[in-house]
Amino acid sequence: MRRLRITIDGVSLDVPPGTTVAAAMIEAGRIVIHRSIRLEHPRGMFCGMGICFACLLTVNGRPDVRACLTEVTDGMVVETYRS
Amino acid sequence: MKRRHTCDIVVVGAGPAGLSAGQAAAEKGLDVVVVDANSHPGGQYYMQPLGAGSAFATSAQVMRGKARVRSAKAAGAKILLATEVWGAFPGFVLHARDPDGAVCIEAKSIIVATGAHDRVQAFPGWTLPGVMTPGAAQRLAKTSGVPPGRRTVLAGSGPFLLPVAGAILKAGGTLVEVVEARSSLLPMLPLLAVHPDKWPEALRLLVPVLAARIRLRFGDVVVAAAGEERVREVELAPLDADGRPDLARRRVVSDIDSLLVGFGFQPQIELTAVLGCRHHFDDDAGGWCCTVERDCGATDMSGVYAAGEVCGVSGAVPAALSGRIAGLAAAGQLLDEETVSERRTLARRLQRTRGFARGLNRLFMPPDGLIGLLSDETIICRCEDVTAGEIRGEIAGGMDTIHGVKLWTRAGMGPCQARVCGWSLARLVAEETGNSMEEIGFSRPRMPLRPVPLNVVRDSLQQMDG
Repeated sequence: MRRLRITIDGVSLDVPPGTTVAAAMIEAGRIVIHRSIRLEHPRGMFCGMGICFACLLTVNGRPDVRACLTEVTDGMVVETYRS
Repeated sequence: MKRRHTCDIVVVGAGPAGLSAGQAAAEKGLDVVVVDANSHPGGQYYMQPLGAGSAFATSAQVMRGKARVRSAKAAGAKILLATEVWGAFPGFVLHARDPDGAVCIEAKSIIVATGAHDRVQAFPGWTLPGVMTPGAAQRLAKTSGVPPGRRTVLAGSGPFLLPVAGAILKAGGTLVEVVEARSSLLPMLPLLAVHPDKWPEALRLLVPVLAARIRLRFGDVVVAAAGEERVREVELAPLDADGRPDLARRRVVSDIDSLLVGFGFQPQIELTAVLGCRHHFDDDAGGWCCTVERDCGATDMSGVYAAGEVCGVSGAVPAALSGRIAGLAAAGQLLDEETVSERRTLARRLQRTRGFARGLNRLFMPPDGLIGLLSDETIICRCEDVTAGEIRGEIAGGMDTIHGVKLWTRAGMGPCQARVCGWSLARLVAEETGNSMEEIGFSRPRMPLRPVPLNVVRDSLQQMDG
């Protein structure tokens, strides 16, 4: 099956097409997406349907993109707060 | 791509209700635009897999969803995808955003079919990565064919846990345990007895779960989730006779990497609220619902209709019926055409089909005693990092409504606008003050209903002047 290559915080990952960025990250065990606003606690995807805004990432240079609603594309560059 | 649309009726939401409403209105010959924030139509109930080769691609539900979309389009409804409404003004003018920027929709009438989302109750450790809603796990499975983790505990209450379990299994996940807060399912039997049409679906959902021989526990609730940087174990306890967690009998399930906890659904009322519509609290329908006249779907704001879960959590069949009622009514009103007799027949069917879901909602309420689990350090508002202790402090200082708590703590002011924390906030205020849910109220949403970049706001406002 054709796989797409994406990078998450500079690390390359091969993912099957037809998955969301959130799904790809969860499969790869990279579930900490950002740190909370005051207490800097680790946070990951929560609602999976685009209403909680916990899964915001920078995708191809565009900030505040919801990982749970975004389908992976070949060559996609994903950056979390770590980048 | 067209940035500005003018139409007769705009439908917000392309799930069962929205598609049904759009089709009904378009069949009457009107110009109908249906918008949905997702890249694929179908809402939650008909959610579509992203990959053609997905194990879910040929499921009956997915196929039915595709058929509904085809019917709506065939009737002439225009569907705008990845288009998320953030503002609404009298006239009506809806402001939305798609991947290319601002989109403006002008319409004579609005049908709000924004559906529902998982109803969550906070507990210690619920903000850890790996803790999600059951709906999130279902979406991971159905859209992307991925389980929520390697070893999952699924907990909470309600029949929705069943299809979530099934979806996780189908995506190859391991369910360590499924935990239902109700101690017995026997009270469901009288309800099922009078709705034999539901038996095939119930069996279809039960069989994979029973066949997989997953450990099922009844009468237990999640007490806390624990782990560094992500969830690793979950603490559970049985509910005692008063419905409170009996911590003396707590137990730990360790070596997990995902925990799903949910208590049914809650209507997504921001758009109807910002349009000024009346809402009511209904314990049998998921909480705060938009109030509509049953045989036409009209809210108390002229030109604004609502259909589906936003009027009360009832399931997909009632959603489609109420969508058709609202579509016919909105179209009839614009065309000055009589649609009463067809709507009355639909309304009678709606009444009957709603009964089953309402009965289920009543049986599977989140246990009152869960609030006692909240330590002062437990985060309630995830967006703004507001703790239960801070909220209790303001209540002790005299705040006895959601609004008061919100003003003093910022709880509910973050990007999710209390969609996630609203239920917990209300239960906390109820517990500490004894006020009713009606008195406590719901967090009033503000525009923008979703975060939008400033250039989109600028473009939208320029479109309004131009």
